Amino acid sequence: MSGIEAVRKIVETEAQAKRIIEDAKLKAKEILESASAEAQRVRQTAISSADQDKARILKEAREKAEADARSSDEETSSLLENYKKLFENRKEVAVKKAIELILGG
Amino acid sequence: MAESLEKLHNRILSDAKLRAADVIREAEEKARQIVDDSRAQAQKDADEILSKANLEAENIRRGILSSRIRANRLRILDEKNQIVQGVLRSVEQSLSDVASTDQFQPALKRFVAEAIDAVGTDDTVVRVGFQNAERKSLDSLGRTLPTGTRFVVEDKPIDDLGGVVAGDVGGKMIFNNSFRARIERLDNQLLTTISSTIFGE
Repeated sequence: MSGIEAVRKIVETEAQAKRIIEDAKLKAKEILESASAEAQRVRQTAISSADQDKARILKEAREKAEADARSSDEETSSLLENYKKLFENRKEVAVKKAIELILGG
Repeated sequence: MAESLEKLHNRILSDAKLRAADVIREAEEKARQIVDDSRAQAQKDADEILSKANLEAENIRRGILSSRIRANRLRILDEKNQIVQGVLRSVEQSLSDVASTDQFQPALKRFVAEAIDAVGTDDTVVRVGFQNAERKSLDSLGRTLPTGTRFVVEDKPIDDLGGVVAGDVGGKMIFNNSFRARIERLDNQLLTTISSTIFGE
């Protein structure tokens, strides 16, 4: 092998080595881009899931509160009906006691 | 020479491959770190969203319930008040007709005695006025009063419902012992009595 051929061979080898490293850098760039995309997807999934959970929590809270409020309304209505019955049943006694108090007997 | 050149060739490629492997390994480690950091941050953000959601849910629950409970309490108070006022109207009605009952004479004597005692002078003027009261029975009471006491029977019920008003001759000292005045003075007791009788409270 002549000296020129040897130099050419080394230059080719250096070029091949450079390509190997450039290819690796390109692949590394793709890996990082893919990781960024994966990170974004992970974040979107987590936030989206949390937003859905939030909507469910608020909906359930509103429905539960409305149900409790209706229950309170029903209890109140029942209590008011009871008051009306008590009034009818005890009105005369109450009037009598009040008059006794006013007359001071 | 060819052999040493081949060794150099292999050495150059081997070094390049090692360096390439390092570049890939570093990228993979960095990629894992990026995804792990993002996952941790996303979890933190999601936890914060849920934490705020729970607070918001509690506010919604309180907002709905407290306004409704407040409205229902007002309904209850309003109903109770109406019932008590209804009883008081019946009481006033009964008082306006009390002159025709057995309770009247003893009560009248007490009212007059209280009024004279409250004024505390020897020249008291006592005015009485009741609906449907027999003038004769009122006049007979007047004759039993202490000397110096002037007794006046009004044609109309005092303060609409009837009662007794006493004062000195100059009108400086007046004690109103009408039914309405007594109702006002006994306001708290009356409300308590009526409320406890009707509602058992």
